[in-house]
Amino acid sequence: MLYVVLFFLLFSLLLYVLLGGADFGAGIVELFSSRENRKVTRDTIYRVMGPVWEANHIWLIILLVILWVGFPGYFNVMMIYLHIPLVLVLLGITIRGVAFVFRHYDAVLDSSQIWYNRLFRVGSLVTPVFLGMSFASLISGKIIITNDYSNYGFYDLFMEPWLHLFGLLIGLFYAALCAFLAANYLIAETEGDARKLYRKKSIMYTVVLVVLGFALIVYGYFADFIFIEDFIHNPVSLISVGISGLLLIPLWRSIKRGSRIWSRYLAGLQGVLIMFAAIIAHFPYIIITSEEELSLLENLAPEATIDNLALMLLIGGFVILPGLFHLMKSFNLIKVLDKSKP
Amino acid sequence: MENLDYARLQMAFTLGFHIIFACIGMVMPFFMVVSHHKWLKTRNPIYLKLTKAWLKGVAIFFATGAVSGTALSFELGMLWPEFMKHAGPIFGMPFSLEGAAFFVEAIALGFYLYGWKKLPEKFHWFTGIIVGVAGVASGILVVSANGWMNAPSGFDYVNGEFLNIDPVEALLNPAWFTQALHMTLAAFVATGFAVAGVHALQIFRGKNVELHTKAFKIAIVFGAVAAFLQPLSGDLSAKDVAERQPVKLAAMEAHYETQKGAPLYIGGIVDEENREVSHKIEIPGALSFLAFGDFDAEVKGLNDFPDDELPPVPIVHYAFQLMVGLGTLLMLAGLIYFISLKKKNWLKNRKFWLLFIIAAPLGFIALEAGWVVTEVGRQPWIIHQVMRTEDAVTPMPGMKYSFFFYLFLYTILGITVTWLMNRQMKALNKEE
Ligand code: HDD
Ligand code: HEM
Ligand code: HEM
Repeated sequence: MLYVVLFFLLFSLLLYVLLGGADFGAGIVELFSSRENRKVTRDTIYRVMGPVWEANHIWLIILLVILWVGFPGYFNVMMIYLHIPLVLVLLGITIRGVAFVFRHYDAVLDSSQIWYNRLFRVGSLVTPVFLGMSFASLISGKIIITNDYSNYGFYDLFMEPWLHLFGLLIGLFYAALCAFLAANYLIAETEGDARKLYRKKSIMYTVVLVVLGFALIVYGYFADFIFIEDFIHNPVSLISVGISGLLLIPLWRSIKRGSRIWSRYLAGLQGVLIMFAAIIAHFPYIIITSEEELSLLENLAPEATIDNLALMLLIGGFVILPGLFHLMKSFNLIKVLDKSKP
Repeated sequence: MENLDYARLQMAFTLGFHIIFACIGMVMPFFMVVSHHKWLKTRNPIYLKLTKAWLKGVAIFFATGAVSGTALSFELGMLWPEFMKHAGPIFGMPFSLEGAAFFVEAIALGFYLYGWKKLPEKFHWFTGIIVGVAGVASGILVVSANGWMNAPSGFDYVNGEFLNIDPVEALLNPAWFTQALHMTLAAFVATGFAVAGVHALQIFRGKNVELHTKAFKIAIVFGAVAAFLQPLSGDLSAKDVAERQPVKLAAMEAHYETQKGAPLYIGGIVDEENREVSHKIEIPGALSFLAFGDFDAEVKGLNDFPDDELPPVPIVHYAFQLMVGLGTLLMLAGLIYFISLKKKNWLKNRKFWLLFIIAAPLGFIALEAGWVVTEVGRQPWIIHQVMRTEDAVTPMPGMKYSFFFYLFLYTILGITVTWLMNRQMKALNKEE
């Protein structure tokens, strides 16, 4: 049953990172667009993301619940030492979530739209950056686990683990991944000029992503981050990243050819591979503190809890996933119908 | 004040904020579905307009509920890491089920919001029902988790360790049923009267009277019926508390001396230092009867508990009085509505509408007061008789700043949502 729980942990992590990520990315694409293009992006986002954005973000809650129920020791460390970056993540989630809804449901169209737009875009950029920084602090080797809080300064315990260049690079890398996903996703949803626009964006974000990825590895290597060293020496991680890189060729081709489905799935697959590489690089030692490496598998809840959790997840998975699938499918169908109207 | 106090304030404030949006998210779908049903049946366009107007409002409330709920899921861990470390594996089951309920709700809401003219009519309407049912289910589940904190079960506590964990028994803890029943009714009372009050205000001002009267009627029926059931369910809750948390019961009633045939105090000022209550109305034997169904039963007083296990008595007592007092008023308001069904000319009387305008916030005030009773009354325990709140709090200093941060953020958010609702209402009245 442990494997069922692990499966759902990774599954919801991946889905949050990809679906929630594409959602953040859409805001980032909008942020870095020229004035005229913003409107197109805005309307497309509403059409595409509107019905599913809530569902996308519930993956985060599922992830959190699995962590606290199944892996209480891990959850404990994260909640104590990542308090500050997580509050910043929450701030971002709050701001962009409500701004997204306010801008579409405000009964009056006036200058307040400017504010909703600003908050939505900036929130979309900041949230993934802080998410990346939170992840980075887990693997940074800078967390000091102690019971004797008076021996350390506030900065050492609660700031140092997340506030560093390595963390920022990971944050930016994740934000770029989000934008990359969103641009490729949007290609499939648009026509004509807008389509060309996202094609350009997709290429641009690919370049940003690759550059940041390199910078991250080079900096991490020379700054002696254990994680990066192990990443480089882990064949599975390297192969995943390699395949992800090679997939750029068919991705570009399919973008050129204008194949909607392929460009979306290829981009998604690349995202999966990159995430997979990052997780597997040090699995199951995902928390690296200043002293030791904590194994995910050794900080488990009691067996009865794990079994119960697995059962709930299985039941949930069979009710929810089909529903979600159906939702996406039927709204795709509807969009096609919409477009065929004059 | 210390770190701990700020953490508690933050928890109270953010939960108190979330619960308002959660209640609206639970109850409004039912109002919409009724109005939507009337539209399908009568094809009176006013009902369609009303449904869509409510829908717009609900989308805004939902988003706010979702983000504040997400923040709460983190907060439980960030503020109370020691609590979650031990409690998480035990009372996690309602939360994992709740995840499923959220998904169903979000999916159904997606259909309902975006499905106009795109889905078959009946199916579209039915997705609205699913939204409501899933909302109520998730409410019941979280409250069951809270019930576990009041009536911990499903584990053995041996030498500071939590052994033999049984998540199902923890879910079905002795408090879950009475609390969930009372809370669900409360959500209908609070939302019913609030929505009815908002529409009563528009009628009072003579704006778009036909539509607002229809809206008022839908909302008030739910609110009034629930208001009649609420004291019954509250009585069940009280008997339950008497059994499982006698200290809390004594604090609710500011009952210091253990005695047989204990009197019920109405009102009264608590003097915590001298352990006395002055300026009260006494009803002999009533407390014994309410708590145990027997006028002569012995009710344990606060003096019989160790000092370091007492909650802040005045807060609990006043909050309880407030809840019960408002509950009685709301029941009367509900009665007045039912009488008005026979006396149609009341609807022309401005005082009638004024009454419901005044009643608008009372349900939510009673609801928040009720939570203060439950939560403050549990102090100093975070898990009743197992873990103290002070042992659960985060070691990170500076919770003061965190509290003010949330206070600031949610105050702005609350003001914005109110302002948006006002705009919706104006736009709706203009379209007339
Ligand atoms: C509209 C709101 C509302 C109204 C009118 C009432 N209540 Fe209430 N009450 C709540 C809203 C509420 C609540 C906020 O929903 C609580 C907090 C926790 C819970 O389960 O319900 C609650 C808790 C609560 C508790 C504590 C339960 C516990 O700790 O487990 C008792 C004993 C009562 N109530 C009793 C009553 C009585 C006798 C009422 C008579 C009129 C009453 N309530 C009206
Ligand atoms: C008595 C207390 C509570 C009740 C009745 C309640 C009920 C609800 C309901 C009905 C919703 C969905 C409606 C909406 O989104 O507006 C909701 C949302 C949410 N609640 Fe609460 N809740 C309570 C307390 C909590 C607590 C303590 C937590 C955290 C542990 C929590 C976590 C959430 C989350 C994460 C969401 C968002 C789900 C989404 O994205 O749709 N709630 N709550
Ligand atoms: C939404 C309705 C709720 C409201 C308004 C509410 C209110 C409060 C208040 C006033 C406190 C502070 C008590 C004190 O320290 O004196 C508190 C504490 C707390 N509540 Fe609730 N509560 C609600 C529901 C819940 C639920 C559903 C849960 C858990 C699943 C929960 C978990 C906690 C925890 C962990 C604390 C902190 C520890 C403590 O002070 O005992 N609450 N809440």
